[in-house]
Amino acid sequence: MSWRTFRSAAVIAAALSIVATACAPSTPSGASAAPSAAASAAASATAATVRGGTVVFAIWQEPTTLAPHYANQTVAGLVNQIVVEGLAMTDPDGTYVPQLAKSVPTVANGGATVSADGKKLIVKWELQPGLKWSDGEPVTSQDVVFTWQTYMKDPKVVSRAGFSEIEKIDTPDDLTAVVTYKSLYAPYPTNFYALMPKHLLQGVEDISKTDYNRKPLGTGPFKFTEFKAGDSVVAERNENYRKKGQPYLDKIIFRSVPSSTVAIAQLKAGEVQGMWNLLESETPDIEKDANLKISFSPSNSVERIEMNLAENSDPSDPSKPHPILGDVRVRRALIYATPKAQLVEKLLFGKAKVGSSVNPQGWAADKAITQESYDPKKADELLDQSGWTKGPDGIRVKGGVRMSMVINTTTGNKTREQVQQVLADEWKQRGIELKIVNMPSSVFLSGSWDDKDPRQRGSYDLALYTTNAAIDPGVHMSQRYHSRQIPTPQNKAGQNRVRISDPDLDKMIDEAGSILDQAKRKELYGKIFRKINEIAPAIWLYERGRIDAFRTNVLGWQPHAWGDITWNTEGWSLKK
Amino acid sequence: MGRYVSQRLLQAVPLLVLISIVSFALLKAAPGGPLAAYEANPLVTPEDMVRLRTAFGLDQPLHVQYLTWIGKFFLGDWGYSYAYHQQVLLLIGERLPNTIYLMGTVYVFTLLLAIPIGVLVAMRQYSWFDHAVTATTFAFLSTPTFWLGLLLIIFFGLQLGWLPLGGIETPGASFDVVDRLRHLMLPVLTLSLVGIGRYTRYLRASMLETIDQEFVRTAWAKGLNERRVVIGHAFKNAASPLVTIAALDLPELFVGALVTEQIFGWPGMGRLFWDAATRFDYPILMGILAVSSGLIVFANLVADVLYGYLDPRIRYT
Repeated sequence: MSWRTFRSAAVIAAALSIVATACAPSTPSGASAAPSAAASAAASATAATVRGGTVVFAIWQEPTTLAPHYANQTVAGLVNQIVVEGLAMTDPDGTYVPQLAKSVPTVANGGATVSADGKKLIVKWELQPGLKWSDGEPVTSQDVVFTWQTYMKDPKVVSRAGFSEIEKIDTPDDLTAVVTYKSLYAPYPTNFYALMPKHLLQGVEDISKTDYNRKPLGTGPFKFTEFKAGDSVVAERNENYRKKGQPYLDKIIFRSVPSSTVAIAQLKAGEVQGMWNLLESETPDIEKDANLKISFSPSNSVERIEMNLAENSDPSDPSKPHPILGDVRVRRALIYATPKAQLVEKLLFGKAKVGSSVNPQGWAADKAITQESYDPKKADELLDQSGWTKGPDGIRVKGGVRMSMVINTTTGNKTREQVQQVLADEWKQRGIELKIVNMPSSVFLSGSWDDKDPRQRGSYDLALYTTNAAIDPGVHMSQRYHSRQIPTPQNKAGQNRVRISDPDLDKMIDEAGSILDQAKRKELYGKIFRKINEIAPAIWLYERGRIDAFRTNVLGWQPHAWGDITWNTEGWSLKK
Repeated sequence: MGRYVSQRLLQAVPLLVLISIVSFALLKAAPGGPLAAYEANPLVTPEDMVRLRTAFGLDQPLHVQYLTWIGKFFLGDWGYSYAYHQQVLLLIGERLPNTIYLMGTVYVFTLLLAIPIGVLVAMRQYSWFDHAVTATTFAFLSTPTFWLGLLLIIFFGLQLGWLPLGGIETPGASFDVVDRLRHLMLPVLTLSLVGIGRYTRYLRASMLETIDQEFVRTAWAKGLNERRVVIGHAFKNAASPLVTIAALDLPELFVGALVTEQIFGWPGMGRLFWDAATRFDYPILMGILAVSSGLIVFANLVADVLYGYLDPRIRYT
């Protein structure tokens, strides 16, 4: 016992020193991602940090539920992560760091091992000692088991990714949970992104009927005290928070407002001190105001134009190539004909990065990957080479087929509509006719065969939208680029909507998903991303940023490429 | 009278069921569905999509979905919201007081101003006051509320900084009557200005018609004072059209103002409906549609009954 006490004391000391260094002004953590504004805000927070005060933060969507296993809105994650924590998280640079665990188990540190037959993955999580839920109850390995069981039992949970791969969880003691996966589930570090309290929810038949639905109990710097539907969520300091002396603020209030325009108005008027999610076009106005500061961070969400490699029909037969886009030279010509830099500069006010790869951020990203940049001459050459010659109306023709295609996107998105118009104009000069047909996101992005998502049924030529890969690209790659996942009337749910089918790519995706060594996986994913660019099923237009804004009297916030801006609220404070 | 009312109420039941069938069919006919929101979540797998579809009953044939809904509805279970993970009745219950608070104030405020103004302009037809009121009411009548609301926000909220820009109260503050009233002013003004315009126009027209009639002249001839003639005789007769309109507006008290609640971030029924519509949250939409169609049928009945009080010539059979 005394040895254990010693160990916990050592861990706490170590944890405290980490906190101390994290706060030291000399540590420019995440400075590469953070603009100087954030860095200076973080630095000045340490000089003489004021304790107390309230920050009102405007969100222009209403969180419907805050329970981690139900929540499916970005804004719900933004709000609940100040309360709900997991075993490990992603830091601003995209590496895994422990949250409630002592360390992130890896093959290298012996925490993650593969069974003798090479089929199962055994992950040993050790909790930090002395952790408490905000109600004072201890956090134990039983909570880990309970979280898994809840995700598997409740039919309405948002996702069972990872949990359905778990065979069993052993708990040799209160602080150790040994998770056995049925397969080599590589994204295991973030599987337990939200721990649920067993002592509170044990024996509850339907969690949606409890307070937990709106005011989940957690271990984070704050605890929820009030949830006013459609109006506001109030969180107050958690006295049992593990980091000593934090959080600095007494309260954070999230206020639902109807639109980003209203949020900006309230931010300018000082009714709120921070706001979530600005549009790129709104940033110039904010930058003019000396009382406001913008938080900008790159993200893994790449706005793209996906090209249908298979025939455009309803439903599409994946074995038949698209009459125009089936030729890789045409696809590459379209990429050459797309003025990405101009789009970013003119339409996005420079608040984005020219796209280059399907997965541009995080540990798996290979920053050296590029995609063909704007070169109309090369585009013309490629089109000529592939046999498409200009007809009498200036539009190219080959074997009786006119080079005329339809581009779909969501209705009501001004930036996307502008992109379409620029491209229609630009491509017309190359002899390509582009017709614009837009539809509501509830159809176009429904991903549902029955709701007639054209991407799902293959009844499209070009699809303009965005999606983001998680920090571990495993799931994203195998679902979107493996030939097994091409949607068909039988397999309605597949997500390989570009209908890419390449045996080499399939092999690499399967392999990358079944090894654990992160360095090797990174190398393999680099090859996969390059291979995808070679096949060219999409034009990576630009990497969208995460843009939030604060009044200058709020200190300590830091942009995060993988998480929402509220990831470090324990370090937020108000200027005197 | 009692028989008439109960007869009308009985007739309403099949009508309401028919309305619910039509609303359900229309909602389902709109392209898209509630699971679109899950598509963008990188954690959600195709297996998850299939499981959620089943969990929410969306895999059932349409007529089964409808029959399940209406069967439970009559037993008091209004369904489960996909987005909120809450019972619909509960969601409506927590928004309703906010809407009644806003719309009730609007209703009373509108009537309190519209009635005297309407009567006055009719009595002083073609005076400068009549012209001024006519011009103003027409201006507000032809102004869409979403635009008027934004103008008021910009002027009183942003330029002058006198009033809050939205919400029902200062978030996190303890209950404060002054604070509540300050938040109430702009949305009430937005809705009332339009409402006053409407009511005034109707009342003016019907008052003008009435004051020229013989029984009013008789009242004058009897030597009654102006107040007795105008209020006791002319207004009581001229009020019928106003009553119809006011009664038919009653459901708004419960259903809320879609656009105005959205602009002012008012946590009421209108905003709940709007959000649910964008999310294809069918159970919430069906619940609110059921309430509103029921209230409209009921309000029509109220208007008919009130006629009998205002005009004894009307008989119910």
